[in-house]
This record gives sequence, C-alpha cells and structure tokens, in this order.
Amino acid sequence: MPERDEFYVGYLPQAPPRLAQRTRRVAALLVVAAVLIAGGVALGFARLPRATFEFGNEKTFTGTVEVAPYPALLVRRPGNAQGLPKFSRYHLVAFGKHGADEELREWDGQAVTLAGTLVHRDGQTMIEIVGGSVRAAEGERVATGAPEALGEHRLVGEIVDSKCFLGVMNPGNLKPHRACAARCISGGIPPVLCVRDASGAAVYLLLVDRSGGPVGRRVLDYVAEPVRLVGDVERIGDQLVLRFDPREIERL
Amino acid sequence: MSVGYQAVGWNRQKKLYDRTLALGVGLYLALFLAISAAVNPNATAETLVIRAFGTGALLLLHVVLAIGPLCRLDRRFLPLLYNRRHLGVTMFGLALVHGLFSLVQFHAFGDTHPLVSLFTANSRYDSLAWFPFQPLGFVALVILFLMAATSHDFWLANLGAPVWKALHMLVYVAYSLVVAHVVLGSLQAETCPLLTGLVGAGLVAIVALHLVAGWRERALDAEHAGDATDGFVDVCAVDDIEPERAKIVTLGGERVAVFRYDDKVSAVGNACRHQNGPLGEGRIIDGCITCPWHGYQYRPEDGCSPPPFTEKVPTYDVRVTRGRVLVRSEAHAPGTPVAPAQVHAMGSRDA
Repeated sequence: MPERDEFYVGYLPQAPPRLAQRTRRVAALLVVAAVLIAGGVALGFARLPRATFEFGNEKTFTGTVEVAPYPALLVRRPGNAQGLPKFSRYHLVAFGKHGADEELREWDGQAVTLAGTLVHRDGQTMIEIVGGSVRAAEGERVATGAPEALGEHRLVGEIVDSKCFLGVMNPGNLKPHRACAARCISGGIPPVLCVRDASGAAVYLLLVDRSGGPVGRRVLDYVAEPVRLVGDVERIGDQLVLRFDPREIERL
Repeated sequence: MSVGYQAVGWNRQKKLYDRTLALGVGLYLALFLAISAAVNPNATAETLVIRAFGTGALLLLHVVLAIGPLCRLDRRFLPLLYNRRHLGVTMFGLALVHGLFSLVQFHAFGDTHPLVSLFTANSRYDSLAWFPFQPLGFVALVILFLMAATSHDFWLANLGAPVWKALHMLVYVAYSLVVAHVVLGSLQAETCPLLTGLVGAGLVAIVALHLVAGWRERALDAEHAGDATDGFVDVCAVDDIEPERAKIVTLGGERVAVFRYDDKVSAVGNACRHQNGPLGEGRIIDGCITCPWHGYQYRPEDGCSPPPFTEKVPTYDVRVTRGRVLVRSEAHAPGTPVAPAQVHAMGSRDA
C-alpha cells in the first residue's frame, strides 16, 4: 500500500508499516531533541557562587546573645585572633522565614548554649537555631562594645534577605528570588545590602534605621532591585552596618 | 471507541505511546539534574528540581501545541495526536511539581499564607521589569489543572463539546501566561543567550505553525460557489474524490465531508462528535467513515455510529449527475438516513 493510502487507527493493534516506521523516527527525533535541550538548558543557567546551608547537620554553640539590632551570637575566637575581633558574630534566625527575636529576647546579654544549623558564605555566618534549644550556660559574657564609625557613604547594591543569600537558597537573590526575600524580611530575617566592587567581590552591610533599630518591612518594596542607599557605615566587631533612612532608598 | 467509561482504554498503541513519553520525560529530567548538579554544584536541590520540572513542562507544552497544526499540515503526524491527552496530563504533572516546589520554597514557612504571599510578596504590579511573575505561572497552572482534570471523555460528554472545546482552548491563554512567567522571571536573572533563544524560538515556531495551518484552513472555509439547482450545489467532479476518501466543502457555513465509496457518494457533517475531528480527512474502513483523530466511526448512509455506539452526525442529500457531485446545502438532523448517490447507474459502468 502506498504511504499516502495508509491510515492510522490508534485502537487497532498494528499501525500501517510505513506510517509506523515514520512515527518511530519522529519519536526518536523528539527524544533526541529532549536530550539535547536538557543538556543545553542545564549548561545555560549561570554558575552559582558557593553558599552553604549545612542542612541536617545540627551543632551546639556557646556564646553571648545580643538581640539588637538583629539577634546574634557572640562567640569568642579560639587562640590568637591575629588582629581580628576577639569574638565572632553569628546571625541568629529561626526556622523557615522567621527571625529569632521572640525566642531570644529574654536571653539578651546572657551566656547560652543553643543547637542550630550553620549557614555561611564569604566569611559571613548564620545559625538557624533549633526551636526551644536555648539554655543558660556557664562562662564569660562578651559584649560588642562601641561601634567604629567609618563615615557617610553612598552605596549601590541589592537588598537581600541574609538567610537565603548566605546559603539556604542558591540562588538567593535577583528577580526570581524577590518574593521570597520580601517574605523572609517581613518575617524578621535581617536585611543586608550586598555591594559588589569592580572585581565582583561582595561586601555585606546589615541595614538599620537612623536610630539603630531594625528596618524590617520598610524595605520590602525595594528588595532584589538595584538601589542606592546613603548612610553612615559602622563596624561592629566583624560586621559592617549601614545606618540609613528607609524613606530615602533610590531605585536605579 | 467505547460504550462505557474507563480510566484509560488501554491498547497497544497507547502503551507504546506512553512508554516513549516516559522514556523522553525520564531522560530529560535525569540528564538535566545530572548535568546541573555537575556544572552547578552550589545550587540547592530544590532549585534544581524547580528548574528541571519547569523547563520539562515548558518543552512538553510546546510539543502538545505543535501537534495540532502539524497534523493539519501533514496527516502523517496523526499518530502523535492519537494519545495527545496523555502528553497534556504528563505536562501538567511536571508543571505541578514545579509549582508546588516553588510555592513551598518561596512562600511557605513565613508570616503570611503561601497563597496570599504568592500574590502580595512582590508588590511591583506597576512595573513591567519587576512585575510579579509567579502569579502568572499560578494562573497558568490552574488552567492546566482544569484541562487535565477534564481531559477524560466522561467530561467531554457531560460538559458538551462546545464548553469542553472552549475550556481546552484556554491552553493558548496558559501558554501566553507561561511565556510571560519565564520572560519576566527566570530570564531576568540569566544572561546566556541560549536560554532566551530557546524560549523565543519556541514561541516563533508555535505561532508560525498555527498561522500556516490556519492559512490552509481558510480555503476550506470559503463558501462553495457552485451552481445551485433545487437547493443542490455542484461541489466537485466524482473523480475529484479519491476512492474511500472524502472531499471537504463548505455549504451554508458548515463544513461537509463528501465521501466516495463502493461506487456511491454520501455526505455528512465534517465534525466528529468526539472531539470535532475532521471526518473528511478520514477514510472508509469496513464500510464506515473513520475519524482520523481517534478512529470514531459513522455509517455514511445515516451518520450513525454502528451499534452499540450512539454517536450521530448530520447527513446531506446527494446527487451524481454527469460525473458531477451535487449536495443539498441544508443538513438533515444527525442520524437521518439518506440514500447514497450511485456514481454509475445500476448495471452500467458508463453513466
């Protein structure tokens, strides 16, 4: 039977021979195309920087809780700090898209042990604490001390939620992550301004308002976009902080 | 064809179809995940799952949308159409995994209900560049869900063909939303021209196929302008119709399939009662008009499916005079018996 006279009826057990052969070729082509597109698309996505969430690897930490402006655990550096601050400052957050303010408020200034999971990127470290794991601890209490003023700066960067950006999600910035960043910051995750120099190296500045308090939801409309912020930069331990007025954020 | 409803009326061709589909989808997901994990080791697992299932669904949606016009342009693609609903349901399954992972990843475990957050977390509805792209994907997913949930013939019969068809035409709305979802979402953060190029090429291919197929269809929809006598319109010469096949003409605004078979000519409405398949592109098998899409059958003499089936299509009066086929432009009610026109007078081959 010429190919043009062949007629396919799906419920019959056998397709006409030439039509069956052609359909097998078309199906094989589609499968090959799927394989090629899978490879091409997978290779086409941008390479992501190292950012780690040690999911499933809970550890115990001991240090001093500091609640303001955002909860942190101050942990004395072991041995010779070689010019670095004498203690490390770990951001503390709760499970999911929640800050740890409520859980830690009563522990402000006290030495504690707590269980949590590390999140880290570019020397910045965060602990997602295990709910209810905070206990009083024996030992020395440390305090941040007076911040070091570094002057007024005009900075261009992207406001990100520190938890995702440091590694809970990767990628944790730019447009596809915008809604999540807003949700996280709304829930109390500390917002950070990520500023990159010409070489692409990133500097992170914790965002606080002019009075030194959390900026919280006042920055939600600006996350993930390129913005310009003007404010006073301070160094608290190993953490840079930007004091600014959230009403003066400038979109670029 | 079946008298009652089954979840899936399995047969050998459907099994072959689904095995090939499973192979293609499985290979796509496995390769995408393996290559992504190798070249992008810092990406979180959820990100890779979201990307793998999202891109897989988008690719499959293009295949689903391309099959229709391809079959209009070349009927040798019809075997791909036979089980297309399984392609559609599979595509929805991939999109659902993508959507659920995204909803949990980006909106769950926060201070707002995830479905509220989906529409409110990004407030830049005033900006095209920063427009919330996730709600677009959500609306598309709802449409795809409605289509997948009603893809069974049970819903086709109970909703009625016009409602069912209109509902399933929403796939084009879903496709538009998905393209906007990708362009305003993931592509905003990616710089590789291959990704933008693939999305653009897919869009151009789908639009072009539909335009070309639609252009061909226009000729069919031109009202037949033959001479009319006693309400009969001269539609073609008998020899214009291949044996056991049909010619499609438009009379009174309706497409009519004029079949030639066993030295006779009959005419019926062109739209199959199942899914509006073009009966005129089918052929006579075992004495019955057989739809090219899913093989639904009708007797040419009365437009009825052979028992125990109950589908019926309209019939038309036909005459053959001096080698010309004449069809009355007014249709009889579906299932009305109409005597076929003899091509050659009984006992003669020279009329």
